[in-house]
Amino acid sequence: MTDNREFIEEFLVESSENLDQLDQDLIALEKQPDDAQRVASIFRTVHTIKGNSGFFGFSKLGALAHSGEHLLGRLRDGKLTLDDRVTGSLYSMVDAVRSILQAIETTGNEGDQDYRDLSRALAAAAEQTPISTSPSPVTQESPAVPEPRAAAPAAAVPAATPPPAQPIPPVQPTAAAPVATAETTVRVDVDLLASILDLVGELVLARNQLRSLDSDDPAVQAVAQRINTVTNALQETAVKTRMQPVEHVFNRFPRTVRDVAASCGKEVELVIDGADTELDRTLIESIRDPLTHLIRNSVDHGIEPPDVRVASGKPRVGRLSLRAFNESGRVTIEVADDGGGIAFEKVREKAVARGLVSAAEAAAMPPDQVLQFIFEPGFSTAATVTSVSGRGVGMDVVRTNIEAIGGTVDIQSTAGIGTVISVHVPLTLAIMPALVVRCGSERFAIPQSAVGELVPLKRDRSGPRIEGLAEAPVMRVRGRLVPIVFLDQFLGIRETTACREDGTVVLVRVDDREFGLVVDGMQSSAGHLRCRELLDAASLSTIVVKPIGGLLTALGLYTGATVLGDGGVVLILDLRGLLRILRLPPVDREPDAAPIPIVEITDRYLVCGTLGGRRVAVPLADVVRLETFHRDEVEVVGHRRVVRRGDGFTTLEDADELLGCVSTTSPPTVNVVVVGGSQGGFGLAVGSIIDVLAAESRLQPTTSPGVAGILALGGVATEVIDLDTAVGDA
Amino acid sequence: MNEPPMHDFCTFRIGDACFAVPTAGVVEVLRGGHLTRVPLAPDAILGLLHLRGRIVPVIDPAIHLGVSRKTPEQPTHLVIALQDDWYGLVIDEMLDVLELPQDRIEQPTTSSAEGPGEALVGVFAAPDRLVHLLDPQRMIQSFMRPRPQTLERQAISHGRS
Repeated sequence: MTDNREFIEEFLVESSENLDQLDQDLIALEKQPDDAQRVASIFRTVHTIKGNSGFFGFSKLGALAHSGEHLLGRLRDGKLTLDDRVTGSLYSMVDAVRSILQAIETTGNEGDQDYRDLSRALAAAAEQTPISTSPSPVTQESPAVPEPRAAAPAAAVPAATPPPAQPIPPVQPTAAAPVATAETTVRVDVDLLASILDLVGELVLARNQLRSLDSDDPAVQAVAQRINTVTNALQETAVKTRMQPVEHVFNRFPRTVRDVAASCGKEVELVIDGADTELDRTLIESIRDPLTHLIRNSVDHGIEPPDVRVASGKPRVGRLSLRAFNESGRVTIEVADDGGGIAFEKVREKAVARGLVSAAEAAAMPPDQVLQFIFEPGFSTAATVTSVSGRGVGMDVVRTNIEAIGGTVDIQSTAGIGTVISVHVPLTLAIMPALVVRCGSERFAIPQSAVGELVPLKRDRSGPRIEGLAEAPVMRVRGRLVPIVFLDQFLGIRETTACREDGTVVLVRVDDREFGLVVDGMQSSAGHLRCRELLDAASLSTIVVKPIGGLLTALGLYTGATVLGDGGVVLILDLRGLLRILRLPPVDREPDAAPIPIVEITDRYLVCGTLGGRRVAVPLADVVRLETFHRDEVEVVGHRRVVRRGDGFTTLEDADELLGCVSTTSPPTVNVVVVGGSQGGFGLAVGSIIDVLAAESRLQPTTSPGVAGILALGGVATEVIDLDTAVGDA
Repeated sequence: MNEPPMHDFCTFRIGDACFAVPTAGVVEVLRGGHLTRVPLAPDAILGLLHLRGRIVPVIDPAIHLGVSRKTPEQPTHLVIALQDDWYGLVIDEMLDVLELPQDRIEQPTTSSAEGPGEALVGVFAAPDRLVHLLDPQRMIQSFMRPRPQTLERQAISHGRS
């Protein structure tokens, strides 16, 4: 049996390709039931499967294929006409064969499923509709298909020869001529391709070293130049060997569309364009599920039922277009339907109902931004969603999967016209553009797809700066609060961070999270640049991703490593892993290229207890630092209390007084929350610091003096201090 | 089946002790080479080495084997293959390749197992020395066992800027 394994694997691969072909052939046949060549082709495929399963002793598969073959034989011989029952049973057969093959692949045997009912159904379908039920078996159509012609099947199986042309006069010449695949391709082991790529990588390095040698000899220069050219071409070609046309994924979709449309009573025509667009084979598999999901969604929720379409003046048959094309170094796949579009108002309502935005914010949001809610986790998994938004079951999963391979998802929708969802994916994972950053004496690569922007920090603190509490440094980026991670400190490269003052913040976005990695600067071909010079593409390198071994990958910090042009090894940061370790809070996602959010959402609050025992909160974004003073350090100047800080003073405001109460206690130490603000900071004297908590509700306005509103924080209603009036009063 | 099966072993020296790994898994031996540090990796991982297009994690087995290296300045890397991954072991000196019948290999005694630990799978007597037979797979797995507490500590100290 071990000897057989290789053959069985080959059989599985070949059969799975055949099944994909079968799906397509069946769909084509449904459209053109009198295509004799198509029937012959289907017959041959099923016959091959039957033959092979007999060879390997897969009896269930054999029996099933036999029943299918019998039915197809009758179809081919004109004893049967194609109807829904026949096609339905053939589709079921294809599905059953597929699941048996899957069982063989995973378990080595055919599984426990019983397919005898299906075999019987196939047999019944074969016998059920003879051309005439009358005793005379020969009808006027019979002579068109002379009996002897059916002799060929066994002999014709593996050959690439075109099927025997059926000289039936009434049949129009088939538009889709049988593709006589010439022997222009070979099967190559993926590992072999990988080692070729490795060797090419080596050559590239040697080439780079050669280039760095100074030689005045023109002959040497000429050779170096030629090696350079050839190496570049070789690298390009080698990368291409990993590529496969997206056709491998698209092939299944006609069947998907047919099944979904049939099950929900829609009429849908699928138009595929650009199926020859190529993608890395590892990515091809990764886009299969997300695309299937999008297509199902479009048919199920996008395209309207035929009567609705007709009533609104549209063609009865909906049109679903699947288009793949290359665009600026990436592959874009568009799933477009001409359905009813997404009901923006309902999405808005839903977003408000779920507490994602306030009603006022939602009403002011441009449609693009509203559509982003569809990608919110759980936004649409609720039962109401399908009826409410009419779209988007599991869109967050689609987005997560696509982003996992460094891609993005866009959505556009026009009411009454349709919806276009564009998936952009990189061409390959083996080679990707990355930002190489410096941190201490180390260098690290960050996948460019995750990099949002680079923000240089200035020593004089004039530009954007890192603020917030020591435990949770944040940076304000156009209205968003982004958590900050000091890479040197996090990785233990330096004991205390050295890049707080004049490093560069690399804003990265992974899944729904965004955070800033503070690094020293960028690496570029021109050497180490300080951040001001780097905002061009100088420090982006195209890197070849290499594995670092499962045990190191398990650290969850690095996805791999790469070798740079200078021969140095650089680790690629695992941003998802970093997120998991850091447990950063989610931040508001900035809609792509959207303007500044209309309402600044500060989602985390510092919760304190006042001396009088009230529970209050201050937006964390406004907190500069926490300090403790002794009662004696508080001085009174005029009617205000101040504390000395360095060479200046900080005004203190008592939290209770701001809220219109009077403190009765005067503890020996005062906890002070120093808050910043547009009009200069001040210190808020409180009794205790409770916690930093994320808001669990929207801010409820209130009429209490000094209170901006009430929020649920940590499950308790908490008053949020109105810092603006506090400053105004002071 | 009269003769016991023969096995090939690469023997090498770290400090004063001799060790051996099956020759079949040895890719090559190389001296020197630039190592790239892997922050937050287990202590035994000295860094990454670039070898013919592959990235090879380099491991210092000395501490785990209870010996100390004598030539920290001029490391020799013994590169071994485990499935698809290659790992480099830092050793002091490469010795000869020995062919041994299975029955010459003895079970490690309990006392010696305390030092080299679970990676030690046998002991045999070469003409002039005692050789400790290592299972590379077990050895590397025990060295590289991720230590979550390290990460936790870092995550915490990150907060405490």
